[in-house]
Amino acid sequence: MLKKSAANVAGLALALFFLFPTYWMITTALKPKGSTITSDYDLIPFSVTFSNFVTAWTKPGFLSSLGNSLLVTLTAVLAAIVIGITAAVAMSRFAFRGRKSFVLLMLVAQMAPFEALLIPMFLMMRDLQLYEHLSSLILVYFAVTLPFCAWTLRGFVNGIPIELEEAAMVDGCGRWKAFQKVTLPLLGPGLVATSVFAFITAWNEFLFAKVLIRSQDLETLPVWLSGFQTAFGTDWGGAMAASVLFTVPALVFFLIVQRKMVAGVTAGAVKG
Amino acid sequence: MTAVETTETAAPAGDIPPALPPAVTGGARKRRRRGSAFDRALPYLLLAPALIAILWLIGWPVVSVFVTSFRQLNLGELVRGEIVWTGLDNYTTVLQDERFWEVSLRTVVFTVSVVGASVGAGLGIALLMRVLTPWVRIALQIAMLCAWAMPILASTTVYQWMFDQNYGILNKTLVQLGFDSFAGYSWFSSGSSTLSVVGLLIIWQAIPFLAFSLYAGLVGIPRDLYEAAGIDGASPWQTFRAVTWPEIKSLLMMVTFLSTLWDFKVFAQIWVFREGGPSGQSTTLPVLQYLEGIAKSHFGVAAAISVLMMVILGLITFQYLRKLLQTEEGKI
Repeated sequence: MLKKSAANVAGLALALFFLFPTYWMITTALKPKGSTITSDYDLIPFSVTFSNFVTAWTKPGFLSSLGNSLLVTLTAVLAAIVIGITAAVAMSRFAFRGRKSFVLLMLVAQMAPFEALLIPMFLMMRDLQLYEHLSSLILVYFAVTLPFCAWTLRGFVNGIPIELEEAAMVDGCGRWKAFQKVTLPLLGPGLVATSVFAFITAWNEFLFAKVLIRSQDLETLPVWLSGFQTAFGTDWGGAMAASVLFTVPALVFFLIVQRKMVAGVTAGAVKG
Repeated sequence: MTAVETTETAAPAGDIPPALPPAVTGGARKRRRRGSAFDRALPYLLLAPALIAILWLIGWPVVSVFVTSFRQLNLGELVRGEIVWTGLDNYTTVLQDERFWEVSLRTVVFTVSVVGASVGAGLGIALLMRVLTPWVRIALQIAMLCAWAMPILASTTVYQWMFDQNYGILNKTLVQLGFDSFAGYSWFSSGSSTLSVVGLLIIWQAIPFLAFSLYAGLVGIPRDLYEAAGIDGASPWQTFRAVTWPEIKSLLMMVTFLSTLWDFKVFAQIWVFREGGPSGQSTTLPVLQYLEGIAKSHFGVAAAISVLMMVILGLITFQYLRKLLQTEEGKI
């Protein structure tokens, strides 16, 4: 009994450790202007204001970088999912010459160290005249997420018994209709989990966004926030409010699929 | 195999049944090859877009980074479009530079410490979660989820604020606790101190994934194994060695490998804190590559650094894949 309560105390202490930065981000964002930079010990806020959020929202660059981030991320992930699912179906539902090599290629591509490809990517985008253009980021994020999507979705498709599709075909469905009516709906949860993971990857990306885009109008949110000191000075309240706004979309997506995500990532990676 | 099944039967936070259909039901579910030409071409047609994209956007850059590393390519050559081959000059430049070895060593030490600490803590928390009262476990899981979901740049900004020299909550707390020397203490005055803060940030955000994955693996271990160990009078340590360890070893190996890949390549956090400073003391290989290639426009030299990074990562990946394919062979 004593052992169990000791474990529980440790568990609660760890929960505080993990929660504190989020707590501190939110409470700082809610503090009135004068009371962030103070030497008082202010662990618990006494007055609450939303003015920091208004400040962050109306800062030059915030809305445009939010828009750029959404545009780049959603386009890349959509493309990766659509192309990934066709590849996944091919790898898991068909027998053909070279199949093993394709699967291996996908596995290796998934582990490609993109950061080490910074220089050739930069040179390539420059040659393609896509430097300083959001489509360069779309291409990079698409390439980063595609092997992961194809590989993980292959795991999910493998999990759906082909007998279901065959039964539909016996009942007179064509191959496409059988896939559309039987496999695709069953694939739903896997699709959501995979696309959220791809979304988070692209939403977080910093290095390529910094290198391939120089002009302020085309910045994505991570790059904009990394320069918050130019935008906010020492206005930590504003910077924290911007961080909260940056976190909300990711957190919402996380909560939707949290349970499936662990299973998805590890299952996809282990399953040969 | 066991790792696969265990991760899929376990939903981390509790009671919702696993959303995935049982995945591995047996080896072959391949369709028989049919007669018509279209049917035979269909899998290739389905694979074509992905294949083209991968060859174009991953394969070609990999070739190109090797080729570039044998060229002298600075801003002048780039603008004029000249191609100047220099053989191994870029590599000798890099390898004779003392700073490169210093940075490489720092990167390895940083990666090993961060991976070791986060995997160790992740395993510890996963084991702890099994003995917690349900509401405490759920509280811990929600707290970890908040850390996990925070975008990297948001968490980096929050850590900068918490570790702020004059008004950061950490220094203020330390002063409250009686450590007066921390008033106005700068956590970023040396490279090792800066990297420690960065390391803490990375570990803090890496643990949730590790703990959730390992916990899912632990939950899947059949209860009767533990009962049997209990009947045999095994101590907790013996139970861990004989029952838990063999069941989660492959999962543990996998998350350790993934963490190594991720932590070796960290750029954003290090760059945003002090841009590799003060005076280059927190520069790691990815930062060095950026500084040489993008900031100084020495693309050839930077490509040589990239190649050396890829060699290190490639060796780790190769070792891991070999092990993975040995155990899982026949299922690809």
